[in-house]
Amino acid sequence: MSEIPTIEQYLKNIEERHFKAYKCSGCGMVLALPSGACYGCGSNKMDWTEVSGKGKLVAFTVIHVAPDEFAEEAPYYVAIIELEEGSRISARLSGFDPLKPEEVKLGTPLVLTYEKGKSGKTYLAFKAP
Amino acid sequence: MPLKNTNIVSAAQTKFGALEGVSLREMFSEAVDKATVEAGIPKKDIQAAFIGTFIPEMLVHQGHTAPLLLDYAGMRGLPATRHEAACASGATALRAAIMAIESGMYDTVLVAGAEKMTSVSTNKATEALAAAADDEFESSIGLTFPGVFGIAAVAHMEKYGTTEEDMAYVAVKAHKNASTNPLAQFQKEITLEKALMPRYIAWPLKLFDCSPISDGAAAVVVTSNEKAKKYTDLPVKIVGSGQASASMNLCDRSELVSFPASVRASKAAYEMAGMSAKDLDFAIVHDCFTIAELIATEDLGIFKPGEAAKAVREGVTQIDGDFPVNPMGGLKAVGHPVGATGVKQVVVAYRELLGEAGPNQIPKHDTGIVHNFGGTGASCVVTIMRRGDA
Repeated sequence: MSEIPTIEQYLKNIEERHFKAYKCSGCGMVLALPSGACYGCGSNKMDWTEVSGKGKLVAFTVIHVAPDEFAEEAPYYVAIIELEEGSRISARLSGFDPLKPEEVKLGTPLVLTYEKGKSGKTYLAFKAP
Repeated sequence: MPLKNTNIVSAAQTKFGALEGVSLREMFSEAVDKATVEAGIPKKDIQAAFIGTFIPEMLVHQGHTAPLLLDYAGMRGLPATRHEAACASGATALRAAIMAIESGMYDTVLVAGAEKMTSVSTNKATEALAAAADDEFESSIGLTFPGVFGIAAVAHMEKYGTTEEDMAYVAVKAHKNASTNPLAQFQKEITLEKALMPRYIAWPLKLFDCSPISDGAAAVVVTSNEKAKKYTDLPVKIVGSGQASASMNLCDRSELVSFPASVRASKAAYEMAGMSAKDLDFAIVHDCFTIAELIATEDLGIFKPGEAAKAVREGVTQIDGDFPVNPMGGLKAVGHPVGATGVKQVVVAYRELLGEAGPNQIPKHDTGIVHNFGGTGASCVVTIMRRGDA
């Protein structure tokens, strides 16, 4: 793809189950979340890039009290995952019991997937490999 | 270089709580009256106003609030600006006032903050609060505001062994301190057992780990040295001020157990004042959640990283402890009307410094630090205050 990455397309990619990260044209840094400027070199020139889908769990929480939009889905995990490419992203966790958070180990390896919530939304999610 | 010319000559707040039948304008006006005419300061002496309020657009369907509120409070015509930095709105309003006084542009100004949160449903208020987090990438996947601090708690528990019980001790202290504060939203003590009740909001944070949704307002009058003499023999001086921003979303942070904006802002304030944490007698920190109080005291260098929990357990942060933190009950038990909080924290510090805190008076009170933190830590303002004769 040679078009300039946009936030709108980034979100559409997730909805269509084909996640793409930003990649800085200046230094090659992968940015899992869109940014107007590269955190590495400050360049504002970005491209799309595929990711391996592999990552590890950095931290998480379990949402019990959710806004109306997500109420049907509660309780659910929201986690911070560090991708193999070095950049972090927030996503749902898939396949982990939300009532047993004590059993979830930080640093555990994960792989990228997608999950359709009861609200009808498609979420980026990570599950055990 | 310590600030040379900024004085607080009066400070007041309304009761915080679910103030039924009291509007944003009325609360604002009450706080302003208490800090001006009732404190012997004529309103006509005020030259400009800096007002903090977070999201009245969503909460009371009102934007452009500064002139509106000032008009209601009887000061129509003054230059009036609204400052917004989520929960740090009040302190950013104060910072603007400091710059106005230190630059010599004005010599007598009003700083006030207010928020009316209970005229909408809890769900709507929660939605409004979520606007202080990254909507596009985090709120949109169902991360709530308590969730952000839940993540920080998980990271802190993993790295330092902090427990849910450690956090509960902070809540117990807050309610204990607020039980002798007639302006607090909650005025009953709670047991550790109650604080540990497993009503999870965002694991591991439970009901009693979270500050409430509240209404309230606070106001202070800030002047030059020259003008201070007109109103009081003993002003409180602002000697240091620091502010910093950070990424709003959690992914762009290398550390989740510390908030970079707090560290940066406090470093800047210490540097300006020519002080370090050792020179402080107490701290008023932003305890939007119990874990936030623990992390704030570490970020401000009051306790070493990972050691705040131990200090709380040992009673160090109690009113009669070696280093009191939030002696009047904090956000947790006094309430957190978002835009008012930053100004109310200054009111608390002012009263403690002057020895006017009644049953909540701390024994050593020459110098204090005030830490006001916005949203997920994307903004932080730190202010160092000292009693005029200290």
